[in-house]
Order: sequence, then C-alpha cells, then structure tokens
Amino acid sequence: MAVTIRRLEEFDEVESFDCGDAPLNNYLQRHAWINQQKVSIGVTYVALEASAPRTVLGYFTLATSSVARERFPKKYVRGLPPYELPLVLLARLAVDKRFSGRGLGHALLSEALKITLRVADEVGCRCIITDAYPDKAGWYARYGFLPLEGAAANHPQKMFLDVRTIRRASASASSPAESE
Amino acid sequence: MPATVKEKSKRAAVQPHMRAKAPKIKFQADLAPSEDQMVRRLKAELEMASNSDFLADALALFRWAVSERKSGHRIVSESTSGERKVLLFPRLERVAPELTLPQAEIAWTPTELESLAALVTSKPAEPTEALLRAMRH
Repeated sequence: MAVTIRRLEEFDEVESFDCGDAPLNNYLQRHAWINQQKVSIGVTYVALEASAPRTVLGYFTLATSSVARERFPKKYVRGLPPYELPLVLLARLAVDKRFSGRGLGHALLSEALKITLRVADEVGCRCIITDAYPDKAGWYARYGFLPLEGAAANHPQKMFLDVRTIRRASASASSPAESE
Repeated sequence: MPATVKEKSKRAAVQPHMRAKAPKIKFQADLAPSEDQMVRRLKAELEMASNSDFLADALALFRWAVSERKSGHRIVSESTSGERKVLLFPRLERVAPELTLPQAEIAWTPTELESLAALVTSKPAEPTEALLRAMRH
C-alpha cells in the first residue's frame, strides 16, 4: 500500500472518513480545514493512497504550545531553562477503520515525529505531548510516550515524549549500523 | 560557379533553420579576482571548456535546489561514514514553506504539570524499537 502523507487540502474527500469515533470523524469533516486555513489553530496532515489521491485514509493534527516556567512546581524550576517550555501537541490521530491494521497509524505517527524533530531543529521545542484515549495509551507507550500523572476525570491521558529521545532515534536510525 | 556565390547559396540554405532557433542572450557578470579564480578552478576540475557550459550546469543545480526547498525537502550531504550535513543557504530558505505550527492552549492539572516537569528535567529515555522503526528514513 503506497501511502502519501501531506497537508490537508481544501478539496480532499473527508466525508466518507470513518474511524469509528464520532468526535474524530467530526473534527476532520467539519473543523480541520477551517482550523488550518482560517483560524490557524492546528495543521492537519492526511494519508492518501495513489489510486485515490483525494480520499483521506487517516490523519493527524499538530499545533504548538508552551508552558510558562512559573506554572511548574518550585522544586523543579531550578532545573528548567528560564523561559517558557515550548512543545508540540499531537492533538488528534485517527485511521479510517476500513484501512486499520495496515500500518497507517505507524506511518502517521512516524511523520508526526519527523515533523516534530524538524520543528525542534527550526524553531525549538522540548517534547511532544498527546492526548490519548485510555485504550490507545499502550499503543503510544510502544513508541516511548510516557504517561503524565494526574489527568482530570473523564479526560484523555496526556502522554510525553522527549525530543532528545526522538533525535537519538533518528540518529540511530540513519546511522549505517542501524540501517543494515 | 564562383566561390562567393557558392557561399551565399549555402548561407541561404541554412538560414531558415537558423531562424527557428531561439536567440541567445548574453550574460555578463562582474567577478572579484577570487571568484574568477574559483570559476577557472571549477571549470578545470569539471573539464568544462566554456563559460556557457559552466553557467548551464550551475543553473541546473541551483534550479534543482530551489525546487527541492520549495517542496519543503532539505538538502543533505552524507559522508562515507554516514555523517550528515544539512545545507542552509539563506536565499534558498526564502522559498521553503513555513514550518511554523499554530499555537494551542492546553489545560493542565497541577499534577500533570508536576509530572511534566519531572520528565523534562530528568535524563531522556532510550528510544524504543518501535520509535527506531518510526524514525527510519
């Protein structure tokens, strides 16, 4: 399955997208384009197949965020740089259920992490945070995402992955020994 | 037939073909002595006889670099030992698509912030197998 991942475009076919989760379907169908182009609060990347280059098979949405230093508990402040902590937010990631089990989620997350690394290289960011449904936390954990304690009741599980870990993985993956 | 007439008729025979070719435009550049030396050295290294060939190849390379950066691709050189260097050329960066992502507000609980601070200030974890696979190019 030859998949291309690129930014969402206005005339991409999103109406038939069904990942089995109404809020995730609704976001792609009603809000993703507006949020990307009009109000600029999230950029959505879509997975498409060469045989149907407008039909969205999966997507993820990224945004940046930051945490003010003074919001952290005092005992940690000394170990933090004297600035806001910049981060990338992986706000949504979903695969159409008709295409699940074909490695699309892996391809989408892989692209999201590569973009995060580029953002870190170009403008700086310290980590990627995602809001995972409890039943998906194990899947993210396989990639090294660590759960943050203290989620509010009925809220998704926030998970953390350090950019230094992603960078190390990228360096190992591109070294000759790893690629053999 | 006198030689001059022969030459004239030859010229008349090739003229329509010559007219079909696009006119060539002269390109003139002022080079500092060091740049001139660099051009001569490169021409010698690349075994190029003319400045026109040199310019045509340089243009092809520059055009490719611009189209790669326009697509958001980065231009990387890789040494024989696998060390990579990314080309950062300010004029090329002007054509690269912006990589900025929009800013979003995240609602944090105090415990989440404490947990985040603890992770940020600790040693980074080693990449997992799945992460290594995800980062393969």
